[in-house]
Amino acid sequence: MKISSVICILFILLNCVCFSQTKSNIYFQSSFGKEKLVSNKFYHLNSKDSIEISSVKFYVSNIIALNKTKTVWQDSIKYHLVDVLNGKALLFQIPSGITFTQIKFNLGIDSITNVSGALSGDLDPTKGMYWTWQSGYINFKLEGSSNVCPTRHNEFQFHLGGYQYPFNSLQTIFLQAQSSSTIYINMDIYKIIQSINLSTTNHMMSPSKEAVLFSEKIIESLSVSYDK
Amino acid sequence: MISKYWISIILVFVLCAYQITTEPLFKVPVNWPKPTYDFSKNPLLKEKVELGRVLFYDPILSKNNTISCASCHSPYTAFTHVDHDLSHGIDDRIGSRNSPTLMNLAWHRSFMWDGAINHLDMQALAPISHPDEMGETIEHVVYKLQQSKTYRSLFYKAFKDSIVTGQHTLKAISQFMLTLVSANSKYDSVMRKQTVFTTQEKNGYTLFKQHCSVCHTEPLFTNLSFENNGLEVDSTLNDYGRMKITKNAMDSLKFKVPTLRNIEFSFPYMHDGRFKKISDVLNHYTSGIHQSKTLSNHLQKPIVLSSNEKVDLTVFLLTLTDKSFLFNQKYSYPKK
Repeated sequence: MKISSVICILFILLNCVCFSQTKSNIYFQSSFGKEKLVSNKFYHLNSKDSIEISSVKFYVSNIIALNKTKTVWQDSIKYHLVDVLNGKALLFQIPSGITFTQIKFNLGIDSITNVSGALSGDLDPTKGMYWTWQSGYINFKLEGSSNVCPTRHNEFQFHLGGYQYPFNSLQTIFLQAQSSSTIYINMDIYKIIQSINLSTTNHMMSPSKEAVLFSEKIIESLSVSYDK
Repeated sequence: MISKYWISIILVFVLCAYQITTEPLFKVPVNWPKPTYDFSKNPLLKEKVELGRVLFYDPILSKNNTISCASCHSPYTAFTHVDHDLSHGIDDRIGSRNSPTLMNLAWHRSFMWDGAINHLDMQALAPISHPDEMGETIEHVVYKLQQSKTYRSLFYKAFKDSIVTGQHTLKAISQFMLTLVSANSKYDSVMRKQTVFTTQEKNGYTLFKQHCSVCHTEPLFTNLSFENNGLEVDSTLNDYGRMKITKNAMDSLKFKVPTLRNIEFSFPYMHDGRFKKISDVLNHYTSGIHQSKTLSNHLQKPIVLSSNEKVDLTVFLLTLTDKSFLFNQKYSYPKK
């Protein structure tokens, strides 16, 4: 018992020395494949089709840092609205001296918050991320246009939300990450678009099975990189 | 001696005035259940209720400043829209349902005929945004309110902040709606043993308990659940109610059970206002039930009522009229 405690402490100390001398700045960003995501720009989908993204907005909530399975840090701001194309980025800092192996967060708003009435700040319904005809937050919004969409103005609109069984679209995300002065969490919109067939799927505006499946695909679009 | 006499009179006056001003904004009526609304998250305050009342009667909430909440929820008819089967909004557009009454909302856990809204605070967003109702956005409502000196001052008085937010706007409207409590009908006086039913009313009450109260449960006169009450779908509307929200076929044709309080004033009846008179409603339940897969369990067995019994039942239903609610000055158009 005693020996294992000592080893444990040594291990933690070693970890601290190796990884945690500086605070970690974590940037949440979006790309289109390898390109930077900007508005008013057409990106290639393949050799003949193109796409323009006009809005990417989503909630990131309950961010915590874990060391193995233990919570070592918790973001004091519980809910962040990220508005990629309007410069409302997300940056958070994990202080130095904290060793972590994973970052965990929710993409979207939990069910309790969804039934808590009118809220303030990023959760205020004036932020355009709340459904008016049926209560509930929109967890993730992706809008744009592409010649492959046989719709009016070739537009597509995905408003993913829903907090009640069986259409709960909230995604809990675990990312492997370790202390570093700059950490990027990147969301690749190209990967998200690739996961569906835009010519047949171009509108999602209410809680549904399709919205849940699509929300799960977003997880695969996330990756972690470091600035050395 | 005389001065003492005057002092005591003044004291009585002051005490009375104090009594009036400290009358609670919301009171749970005797023997009623605990409200569902979490007042700790939005504690009632006179100034907030008053702001909510001003907003409720102000067409500023609509796109072209023509329609207020009260347009479809008139205080003198239990806060519903009479004379129209389907309620109408901006530019004379016709909606798809009959506006529900507004009363005793602190006890409700969902709102709208199909329960689309999960919290009273969020209720106002639906009519504000609906293209056939107010056709506005909450973002623009907040912008318009912020431009108004009167509203900046009212928001400051209520929230100690003259910056208008969506949250504060919605919470103020909630506060006013929470104060709309109807619990002072003849029925209520009888329950409190302050008066008694006539023989006819008593007979009607017995019939009510036998045939209706399983869904229209006392004291709210609704069990707040969703039921298919045997109305054939109107092919011009194709409204399947709750199913639109849950996407579950078991919820087809189910609508929220409405309260029967103040039923005398809340015609026409049903989600699409198809019945003009109480007698139409009773005839529906005795001889108009349309069979379908989701028909309420409580309507599987036919309800049998003689014409005399229908009259008695109607007489009982009229004891649910609460004049002190319908004509309460605290709920009426705010005077400037």
